[in-house]
Amino acid sequence: MDKNFQEEQLTGVSKFTPPLYQQRYQFIKDLVEKYKPQKVADLGCADCTLLWMLKFCSCIEVLAGLDICASIMKEKIHRLSPLPVDYLQPAERSLTVTLHHGSVADKDPCMLGFDLVTCIELIEHLQESELKKFPEVVFGFMAPKRVVISTPNSEFNPLLPGGVLFRHPDHKFEWDRAQFQSWALETARRYGYSVEFTGVGHPPTGMENVGFCTQIGVFVRKNPQASTSAQSENPPEAVYKTVFKAVYPSLKDEKHLQNAVISEVIFRAQMIKQSLLGRLMSEHEDYNDDPTERSSNFQPSMNWCSEDLEKLVMEKSTESFVDGSVVYIPLTTIFSFPKVNQLCGTLEKLCKLIAGKVTLSSDGSAVMLNVEHEEN
Amino acid sequence: GLQISAGFQELTLADRGGRRRDFYDLGVNTRQTIEHVQESKIGSSGARIKLTANYFRLTSRPQWALYQYHVAYNPEMEARRLRSALLFQHEELIGKTHAFDGSVLFLPKKLGNKVTEVFSRTRNGEDVKITITLTNELPPTSPTCLQFYNIIFRRILKMLNLQQIGRNYYNPSDPINIPSHRMMVWPGFTSSILQYEESIMLCTDVSHKVLRSETVLDFMYSLYYQVEEQRFRDTCAKELIGSIVLTKYNNRTYRVDDIDWDSNPQHTFRKADGSEISYVEYYRRQYNQEITDLNQPALISQSRRRGGNMQGPVVLIPELCFLTGLTEKMRSDFNMMKDLAVHTRVPPEQRQHEIGKLINYIQKDDNVQKELRDWGLSFDSNLLSFTGRVVQSEKIFQSGNAFDYNPEFADWSKETRGAPLICAKPLDNWLLIYTRRNYDIANTLLQNLFKVTPSMGIRMNKATMIEVDDRTEAYLKVLQQSITPDTNIAVCILSSSRKDKYDAIKKFLCTDCPIPSQCVLARTLSKPQAVMAIATKIALQMNCKMGGELWSVEIPLKQVMIVGIDCYHDTVSGKQSVAGFVASLNQTMTRWFSRCAIQSRGQELVDGLKVCLQTALRDWFKWNKYLPSRIVVYRDGVGDGQLNTLVNYEVPQFLDCLKSVGKDYNPRLTVIVVKKRVNTRFFTQSGRGLKNPPPGTIVDVEVTRPEWYDFFIVSQAVRNGCVTPTHYNVIYDTSKLKPDHVQRLTYKLCHMYYNWPGVVRVPAPCQYAHKLAFLVGQSIRREPSLLLSDKLYYL
Repeated sequence: MDKNFQEEQLTGVSKFTPPLYQQRYQFIKDLVEKYKPQKVADLGCADCTLLWMLKFCSCIEVLAGLDICASIMKEKIHRLSPLPVDYLQPAERSLTVTLHHGSVADKDPCMLGFDLVTCIELIEHLQESELKKFPEVVFGFMAPKRVVISTPNSEFNPLLPGGVLFRHPDHKFEWDRAQFQSWALETARRYGYSVEFTGVGHPPTGMENVGFCTQIGVFVRKNPQASTSAQSENPPEAVYKTVFKAVYPSLKDEKHLQNAVISEVIFRAQMIKQSLLGRLMSEHEDYNDDPTERSSNFQPSMNWCSEDLEKLVMEKSTESFVDGSVVYIPLTTIFSFPKVNQLCGTLEKLCKLIAGKVTLSSDGSAVMLNVEHEEN
Repeated sequence: GLQISAGFQELTLADRGGRRRDFYDLGVNTRQTIEHVQESKIGSSGARIKLTANYFRLTSRPQWALYQYHVAYNPEMEARRLRSALLFQHEELIGKTHAFDGSVLFLPKKLGNKVTEVFSRTRNGEDVKITITLTNELPPTSPTCLQFYNIIFRRILKMLNLQQIGRNYYNPSDPINIPSHRMMVWPGFTSSILQYEESIMLCTDVSHKVLRSETVLDFMYSLYYQVEEQRFRDTCAKELIGSIVLTKYNNRTYRVDDIDWDSNPQHTFRKADGSEISYVEYYRRQYNQEITDLNQPALISQSRRRGGNMQGPVVLIPELCFLTGLTEKMRSDFNMMKDLAVHTRVPPEQRQHEIGKLINYIQKDDNVQKELRDWGLSFDSNLLSFTGRVVQSEKIFQSGNAFDYNPEFADWSKETRGAPLICAKPLDNWLLIYTRRNYDIANTLLQNLFKVTPSMGIRMNKATMIEVDDRTEAYLKVLQQSITPDTNIAVCILSSSRKDKYDAIKKFLCTDCPIPSQCVLARTLSKPQAVMAIATKIALQMNCKMGGELWSVEIPLKQVMIVGIDCYHDTVSGKQSVAGFVASLNQTMTRWFSRCAIQSRGQELVDGLKVCLQTALRDWFKWNKYLPSRIVVYRDGVGDGQLNTLVNYEVPQFLDCLKSVGKDYNPRLTVIVVKKRVNTRFFTQSGRGLKNPPPGTIVDVEVTRPEWYDFFIVSQAVRNGCVTPTHYNVIYDTSKLKPDHVQRLTYKLCHMYYNWPGVVRVPAPCQYAHKLAFLVGQSIRREPSLLLSDKLYYL
């Protein structure tokens, strides 16, 4: 608990830039960017800082956390909830974040099928009995594609101020490189993984022989196919308690997709209508007696959404027409807007999504908008 | 004591999202200083009416108390989480229900001993002695407890999966989409738990949050295509400064205070660890947010949290920010506001239903019920019901005629149509200025004024008609050349609602060349079927601007000067606030003295108000040949949490100012704070449903605050949605007037606003002060000439 804080006390903030815990998290983030796992679990997630960082990684669709202490997990739990903005512009990907209260010494089926499992500064907190069960639970049962385990390198300790035995009062042990590597190699061998060693927190010049301050083992399962045999035979009972679950709004959800499409269709149709009715033009006219110099050098860059709004709208509006007090805007016109196109994929899909929600012409080929007179 | 309350503040801070201001003005006890309302502050007149309000009683177990403990560790433990973990090793002693911030512990039960010592062991075997000392036994009504209830209630709202935005909570799962404006409206609730007259209650109301599904950058792009380039920056500033934005990466709201056009996302900043990083890089690394437009400017938000670790201005990237709320421009879009009102103007019946839903959730959700039960708290499931009073409607007097009208509509435009005015100012010599395009419209206006003015008693000559080019300078030049000392009023017909032209004309005619003026939008007169009605309105408005009087109500109180004050705060060019000050000049309250105080940064508004009061008294003396023996000040424009400043600073300054008038001058002073934006709603039974209470409804029981001399009045009638009562808080009073008389006087004054032939929601002087402050703040930006001060030139 509070390992980041304790460590900073010991190592001194100035020692590592950025702070060591951030380097560890960044290490995981870089790994995620590289291998694009969809399902990631953090064991010993504490106050969920790593999970919070990972939720911004767009490849991840399932994010799970596990900790033995429920109150620490809950402390900053709100950071894992969707933001108002996530509702305003639902993301393309789906994302579910779940937090479980339980021990890494226990098996629970909710931890199956992950691409990456991280155990950052976890094992040194485990009691001997827990540490014994740990490889079987993580590598034997969960059997994710990748496992990352980090732990202090005790060879580095003499370089740290304070001269205490362990870096954190709750540590049960701190291993040197040989100890960690032999444990890791043995574990990897037993469960069919390969392992590579690295670390974060470079030693000062001249002292390179002590190794990284934090040592890291990256385990990769040799058999790329999920070894479902061992798991499916006798799935254990669920023992973890779910303390938090958040399902993020996503365009994969028909409801959100429909809302997004309808919004976009009506907004575009309105724009075309206004352009058609020449309102944009007359407004320009209204404002043109101002003699001040041109002073703006903020040029909206056109590459932003490959839509030169003005040009596009002008172009589009020629395909639309006014009949009496109704403006007709062909669906094909609306569909040609990149954003609409991207959301729907096909014109059929567009028709299906807006059916009954947007007023269409009798043959269903155009959006109808009334020409209301401006009141004031 | 001190340390503990500081600790509790932290708890408050965390749960409230970092706001520390006392929004509810707790602990400002003004009633105790007003002798004659110690026993009762309740009025008597009017017919009884059964009402319900959006309040729910909070009930607690008998003998309920909150126990506050101080927790100490030996050896000292630094980390808060470690402290928590060590303490809760003793859950069997403490219980499952607690609130702990690291040093202050709140429990719903009392521990066996005043001081309890327990031992915990850290996981590496270190023994720690924990001393838990009872420091306070808080009764349900203590201020700390009230804060505590609000925290618990906020926890409950979070449990119900509502999203906190600003001070309120919203339901994101069921939004109302308004795609044509890229808007989304989230339904939600405001809530506060306070000690009211008889009991502690939850006041909750339906609230709507307008969110926009476009980023600030999207908004800038579309603005760029709508206005020409040289106006782009100004328009951006006008539209964006003052608005509240949400970011893509955290759950905070920021107020946009400035736009830095010299900055862009490639600029760097210094991180806490001292390293330099560009915004692009930072947001990519930290939040995986790609910034695509590298030329966009930066938004600047001045951090408003005091003492926090977020010092100095915050720089925001437009592409990563979403807008909330409505801009001025949207507000002036009639069609959009109509669309929006359909969703946000919730009528009484539906409002009660929505509020009921929240209470239902609370009663039904097991987790919420458990949390409440554990603390020994519960809420009534029914709306608070009680009895209010409806005072008699006022007769409208106009030149010897007394008019009755339907009190339910609070409007007498029909009844008084065509009746002679109390005082009609002649239009002997006046200007009518128009562009060539609007020649016909100018003539239409003139002809219609000739039709409608005779019955009012207004003598009218043909105007001096002047055609101008549609340029600001042309208007100003013509005005300069044509206005003579005999000119009664200048009427300008404008072809568009361009603000700069309007501003320039108003500025010129209020300062350089002070005469009354009337600007009319050509469009307003373009509908033939409505022209008569509009000409009538314009004639009345012009008459008021020239110092005429329209109607009056009976005001029995003699020798009283009524003052209204309201403020305008400039959000765009910032820094400047304007206070409008309006004081009655005659017994019938038909003539008013108007002046404003402009406050620049670092200056106190009250200094200007003192000057206003002095001149008002001087003018009163000129009119009446004596000084008023009573002064009643209606003070509007007071923000949440500012009451204390008003009581301790502004009122003493008023008293000082009165003292300076003369040794023997000792008028009775009443200061009443007027608040229009309240969450209180009243309903009354109508058949089997609910409806708004009728105009004239007064409430001075149950939902008022025991430490204040306060009351609510519903004075106006609304056509749709729920009526908002106005809250009046008498913070200073040496008048010895009975509460009933103060209430009646207040209601009478709501009938005296000449721009509306009906009852308005605040006393007329407040509405006038509002109008004045708005005109000066928005258009004139310096003090108008005092030559105009005896006219309602700003209507």
